[in-house]
Amino acid sequence: MTRQEGISIGAALAAHVALLAGLSLAWQRQMQMLPSPDDAVAVELVTIADAPRVPEPPQPSIAAAPQEAASAPAEAAPAPEPVQADAVPPPEPPRPRPEPRPTAAPLKAPASPLDTSSLASLIDKSLPKAPKQTLDTSKLAKDINAAAPARATIDPRAAATLAQAIRGQVAPCWNPPVGGRDVRRMTVIVSVRYGRDGRVIGLPQAGTPTGTTSANADYARAFAETARRAVLRCQPLKLPAELYELWQAVEINFDPDEMT
Amino acid sequence: MRLIPFMLALGLPAAVLAQAPLRVDINAGLMQPMPIAVPAFAPGNGGNTEAGTTTALGQRAAQVIAADLKSSGLFRPIDPAAYTSAVGLDEVVKPEFPAWRTIAAQALVTGTITANADGGITLACYAYDVFAGSEIARQGFVTTAAGWRRAAHKCADLVYARLTGESGYFDSRIVYVSETGPRTKRIKRLAIMDQDGAGHRFLTSGQNLVLTPRFAPEQQTITYMSFENNRPRVWLYTLGSGRQEAVGQFAAMTFAPRFSPDGQTLVFSMSVGGNADIYRFTLATRQTTRLTTGAGIDTAPSYSPDGSQIVFESDRGGSQQIYVMNADGSNQHRISFGDGRSASPVWSPRGDYIAFTRIGGGRFGIGVMRPDGGGERLLTNGYQDESPTWSPNGRVILFARSDRAGRSGLWSVDVSGLNERRLATPLDASDPAWSPLLP
Repeated sequence: MTRQEGISIGAALAAHVALLAGLSLAWQRQMQMLPSPDDAVAVELVTIADAPRVPEPPQPSIAAAPQEAASAPAEAAPAPEPVQADAVPPPEPPRPRPEPRPTAAPLKAPASPLDTSSLASLIDKSLPKAPKQTLDTSKLAKDINAAAPARATIDPRAAATLAQAIRGQVAPCWNPPVGGRDVRRMTVIVSVRYGRDGRVIGLPQAGTPTGTTSANADYARAFAETARRAVLRCQPLKLPAELYELWQAVEINFDPDEMT
Repeated sequence: MRLIPFMLALGLPAAVLAQAPLRVDINAGLMQPMPIAVPAFAPGNGGNTEAGTTTALGQRAAQVIAADLKSSGLFRPIDPAAYTSAVGLDEVVKPEFPAWRTIAAQALVTGTITANADGGITLACYAYDVFAGSEIARQGFVTTAAGWRRAAHKCADLVYARLTGESGYFDSRIVYVSETGPRTKRIKRLAIMDQDGAGHRFLTSGQNLVLTPRFAPEQQTITYMSFENNRPRVWLYTLGSGRQEAVGQFAAMTFAPRFSPDGQTLVFSMSVGGNADIYRFTLATRQTTRLTTGAGIDTAPSYSPDGSQIVFESDRGGSQQIYVMNADGSNQHRISFGDGRSASPVWSPRGDYIAFTRIGGGRFGIGVMRPDGGGERLLTNGYQDESPTWSPNGRVILFARSDRAGRSGLWSVDVSGLNERRLATPLDASDPAWSPLLP
């Protein structure tokens, strides 16, 4: 290879490189995208203290891990025993099913996709009926007294009438978490103590919902809290004072089987 | 109550027994959004950030959180006009519960925003059960000043998760195809935005037609179909760098791509001589495996969340219907038997439902069915509702809705069929894909 050949090969090579570079630049230009968004900025989780008045960011600290202040329903006192025990004293017929409730029929509507506003209006119309019926406590007491025998045992009819009155006053405040995967399988019992003024004494105790597993424990806790919230929101109850002995302690079983 | 038999044995008076708790059954409640108060977050210090003062950020963060919760349809943020007095630092951690009860707030979210020495911020988020009078959650978030919206979304996710028992979905993004121009000369661009529509940006210039974008699980990569160089095939796009790469060197057209849940594999359709089949492409080894072989068009594959099965659409039986197969292509069986045709199936991230497009009677609607084909429900019924995609928690479905005039936009609906709402986009929109939760 002569020197001249060498030079021309070198020049050709250089020209090719330049051409390639130019081409790839052109290609890059053709491929050019709009400025891409930056990667999402990082967000770091830290624990926070009781006093937020901090000039400096709180130090991330495992020791100061947030403690659950609310008593989790799962830790609540064990749910009272099944209610069958109540039926021990005098021989008692099976607890009568409550009378057909005015709230039931309209609440079935949500099965089909409805728009919420029309749904709400349906429910709004239907619900006031129940509480209104129960407001006449003197009549209620009369009914119950008429039904109750002279002795101070719980007559099943009296208990059923009282239960219906409580249901009518508490159900409108229950907002169960609908749409959750496990909602239809869950029920929870809330134990409540009422004062003579119809107000809740202390914090009602929610038991562990049926159907709770390790996989849905968060959902079960939220579910139990909706039941406790219903009891706390709808008070004081308006119930016949002369029958206070019967309703001072109540176990309410929340079961959304008629929802959805 | 264990004492009762004992007491009976002792012959105690029946009056004592009468005090056993009265039992009440409640079988129905009200389906209505929970009233929740989200007052402006208090400034943790008087600092200023490049995104604004801590006071201004505190107001905007509360607005973002309230809007997130409201959009779920499960919460009703109370109008701040109902509680005019600002929540000070002391009240952030010691709320006046009786005052919140009087305005019927069932839950309360308070917080602070503090400017940090490095220019970033700390958002502290506290949630309370107002009627029980107790704190139910708290978490701090440290980020850049520009990241305040993400911190607010994370706070909203914390509150949502604690009060519903389901994981949140507000700290997530949506990629979709933005459309503009006349039907004959439609310009389609990839665009990305936050789940609430904020931070909207275009990713591609519109030079080439793009379709069906889908997020990788790690969210920095999007797969989609593009007609780059008039050759329809599957591409990968890397966020941040903006890098674009064609998937495989196939002579045939490839389309309808989607990632596996572990992000290691792509599934897509490849069309050879009018017969489209589903293929699996392993990203690390570039190996391609054919999963379906029948005549007709097999397309729109979507993995189950555990990666063991794939749902897809096929016209092998004469019309578009939905089929499920194992991830290796075995055990292919039809699951949709409703009226009309069924298309574009997507498996829910929580695994319990498959969303799909129902086509019949000249209309397109969005429906869900269980993976065995049972429990079918139609959630929407528009003129043309299609391309469903799930929120990261499997609770909400986002879809594209077109009207007769050809205008299109993004809408969402709760899996219960309630809470249908529009998600605003700058231009017409189609083919949405919801990202997983951001890390």
